[in-house]
Amino acid sequence: MAEILRIIFNSLETGSAYALAALGIVLIFRTSKTTNFAQGMIGALNAYVAAYIALNQGFSVWVVTLIALFTAFLTGITIDTLMIRPAKKVLPVSKQIITLGIIMIIVGIIPFIFGVNNFQLASFFPTGSIDIVGATLRFNTIFVIAVSFTVMAVMFWFIQKTKWGLAIRVTASDEQTSKLMGVPTATVTMLSWAAAAMLATLAAIFVAPRVSVYPNMLLNVQISAFFASTLGGFSTFLGPVVGSYIIAFLRNFTSFYISDIWGNVIVYMGILVFLYFRPYGIFGKKPQKKV
Amino acid sequence: MKLFMRMDEVLGKLGAFFRKVPYIGYSAFFILLLLIPYYHSTDVISSGQLGIFAYIVIITVAALGLNILLGYSGLISLGTAGFVGAGALGVGVFLELGLPFELAAIATLIVSTLIGALIGLFSLKVEGIYLAIATLFVGEILRQIFTTVPIFGGQSIMIGSVTLLGQFELSTFDQAQRRILFVVIAFLLLIMMIAMHHIVKSKTGRALLAMSRSSSAAQAMGISLMKYRLMAFSLATFFATFSGIMYALYNQSVPTTQWTLDLSLFIIAMVVVGGYKSIYGTFIGAFIIYGIPNLYLKELFGDVSFIFSGVLIILVILFYQNGVAYLATDIRLLYYKLKRHILGGARGKATDD
Amino acid sequence: MEKLLTIDHVSMTFGGLKALDDISFDIHQGEIVGLIGPNGAGKTTLFNCLTQFYKDYEGTFTLHGDTPVDLRDLKVTEVIDAGLARTFQNIELIPDLSILDNLLIGAHRSFKDSFAEELLKFPRALKEEKRLKEKADRVLDILGLQAIKDLYVKGQPYGILKRVEIARTLMSDPKLIILDEPAAGLNDVETDQLEQIIQLIQKELHVTLLIIEHDMGFVMNVCDRVCAINFGQFIAIDTPQKIQQNPAVQEAYLGRDDDA
Repeated sequence: MAEILRIIFNSLETGSAYALAALGIVLIFRTSKTTNFAQGMIGALNAYVAAYIALNQGFSVWVVTLIALFTAFLTGITIDTLMIRPAKKVLPVSKQIITLGIIMIIVGIIPFIFGVNNFQLASFFPTGSIDIVGATLRFNTIFVIAVSFTVMAVMFWFIQKTKWGLAIRVTASDEQTSKLMGVPTATVTMLSWAAAAMLATLAAIFVAPRVSVYPNMLLNVQISAFFASTLGGFSTFLGPVVGSYIIAFLRNFTSFYISDIWGNVIVYMGILVFLYFRPYGIFGKKPQKKV
Repeated sequence: MKLFMRMDEVLGKLGAFFRKVPYIGYSAFFILLLLIPYYHSTDVISSGQLGIFAYIVIITVAALGLNILLGYSGLISLGTAGFVGAGALGVGVFLELGLPFELAAIATLIVSTLIGALIGLFSLKVEGIYLAIATLFVGEILRQIFTTVPIFGGQSIMIGSVTLLGQFELSTFDQAQRRILFVVIAFLLLIMMIAMHHIVKSKTGRALLAMSRSSSAAQAMGISLMKYRLMAFSLATFFATFSGIMYALYNQSVPTTQWTLDLSLFIIAMVVVGGYKSIYGTFIGAFIIYGIPNLYLKELFGDVSFIFSGVLIILVILFYQNGVAYLATDIRLLYYKLKRHILGGARGKATDD
Repeated sequence: MEKLLTIDHVSMTFGGLKALDDISFDIHQGEIVGLIGPNGAGKTTLFNCLTQFYKDYEGTFTLHGDTPVDLRDLKVTEVIDAGLARTFQNIELIPDLSILDNLLIGAHRSFKDSFAEELLKFPRALKEEKRLKEKADRVLDILGLQAIKDLYVKGQPYGILKRVEIARTLMSDPKLIILDEPAAGLNDVETDQLEQIIQLIQKELHVTLLIIEHDMGFVMNVCDRVCAINFGQFIAIDTPQKIQQNPAVQEAYLGRDDDA
């Protein structure tokens, strides 16, 4: 029982990081019609900012998180303005490759600004825990899960209920028409990149205490987030989030109960088989095609 | 005017000749490659640099396969690195089982290509972004298997010297033999370039293009999407695996950890920068993405390879979508434009007089 | 005249909407049949059912010959083997191939060499390539495309593209060619040329044609018989003159033009 509870909370914590990243991926996919492979790298870059300032200025993790979220906002806007908006007429595949270019640029820039060493970033609650039926639950875990749920709840409320959320949804469904109807699609896309960058940065700061800060720190999270978006379906906002938690649970349970080595492989194979029968994910719908 | 006509005549004939006998171009390219280890002997290119050239030659083969997939079939794969790794490590495993090198290579190609064909089967159901991520799944599964399954030796597989055709033993740790190994892999690249040329300039190449440009027309013309999707993925996998085998042959020790998404992305970048559908362009792309930063920029500016490639990829996509390979075509168009301009101007003058 | 194709009680429903409602008529060997009807009448849907792009229709398409073929038994990629070749409403050519290569795609099924022979450039692969290029040359001559056969399709004028698409259908030695709006978007000169080409194809190659077209002048000049449908329902099939005078057709279709 204690083991199961421990795995559940672990899964909720890792799943939250996946979900934040996945939400960013799907936000950009819907508004810019591209998969952003640089999502993880953008998060890592801003985690570097946080860790660097924490180390050199002695600020607390709370303060540097706020600073990093602000620089993430700027990163998102810069990337959209310089590289994504000029690529409006480019083939979808080429657009994806632009995001590969962004990865390379960030990987190249990091050592010039921050040096070649890894950084450490403290947790929000380094100590303190409670016991639930024998399972030790750290305050930090509770905090990460709570913040992620809150952020995602706010995002969903924003997308479903506000004027800007409506603008995101209509831009996602038909950019050309939206533009004609006076929706500021360029601004919507730009803010989506900013929001996605902030979500990735939050995910990066959440996983930083466990993995330390280095360029590929979010690689695992990002790959899982892609898998989650595929599993849940790229055509919805909820699907990728649900998919994230499913993947986190499956991974933790298979690696605990079946095999540490083969757990991941089994989960991936399982998802591939699932996709074969539901090619557009759990919540996704098949796009209409005309002959 | 006479000069232009002469030039047109010569250039036209030359172009037609090369198109008719493409093997001359490929052979010339091969001979140019052979000059690299020669420079090496006069110390212009150090041994580390020969390794970089070898890597370019090797990875070009994987990129050629991806170009069949991306340029001709319009499908993307994020799992290329996994199959390059499968080729390199697979051959290592079969060699450890005692197979001669050639048989080990064939066995590896068969196993790996079958897995690739499975992805092709998968691609009939799953499309677009979902397919791209599915190939990423396959790449990740392979990567995890490489790093966790003990037969791949943990960190790396040591192969040691390789015996080719049962009698030529070549070790990469001997200077002279390493040069011979370079000639061997350059020759393998030549063969794969010609193979790709044959494939794309034939029924198969046209069918792949038809499938990606208009699937309805393709079907109406009797082109089976299933057959050619399978074909596209099998070919891409075959080329990637072949490239891995070349890696094992030249380096004779294969790490398990470097076959990651990053490498797949770099290979995609080579195709995009070099030019969709272009065979020479793919090599130029590999040279630009991997060669220029590692050969020249590293010494001058430190490790700027990533920034350089990243900026270049974005610039090419934004401003020169065809890729570097089409520079020649564009120069030719420019020449015609210039000619028309000059001739037009001359004619205008004549009527004025 | 001998029957070539029988369309027998064909119906097709899209989400509760009857796109085709019990259509039946015959096409005879060697004739040119026009298919007319206002927008949304179900003409292209009928083509898509006939060429097996849609499989969930009711009724049958029977292709007559030594042994009659129910087209439903064929996969979409096998329809061309039975002798049916089609064009598309929006031109579906391969832009980054030459006109000649586009024609060779039409002959895809005629290539008898295997992949291995192609890879190694065995004599048979070279022979097949030569044989079908010669065939393409004959088609290009008929359609007046010989001089520009090595140019890319991309960037060619609309009239040329339409002609290349027709040329491509001829590469498979079809019994029945199905053209979806061949004259749409053409100017008067190009339309005249197209009329001549189609009549030439019929006479020289003894091919039967089924043509969707809105340009009534074109239909009157080219077609031996015209079938009119509206809202998925069959109205009439007759000679062009009689169809023009048919009150039901006038009401459904021509009536609109007469008002103008």
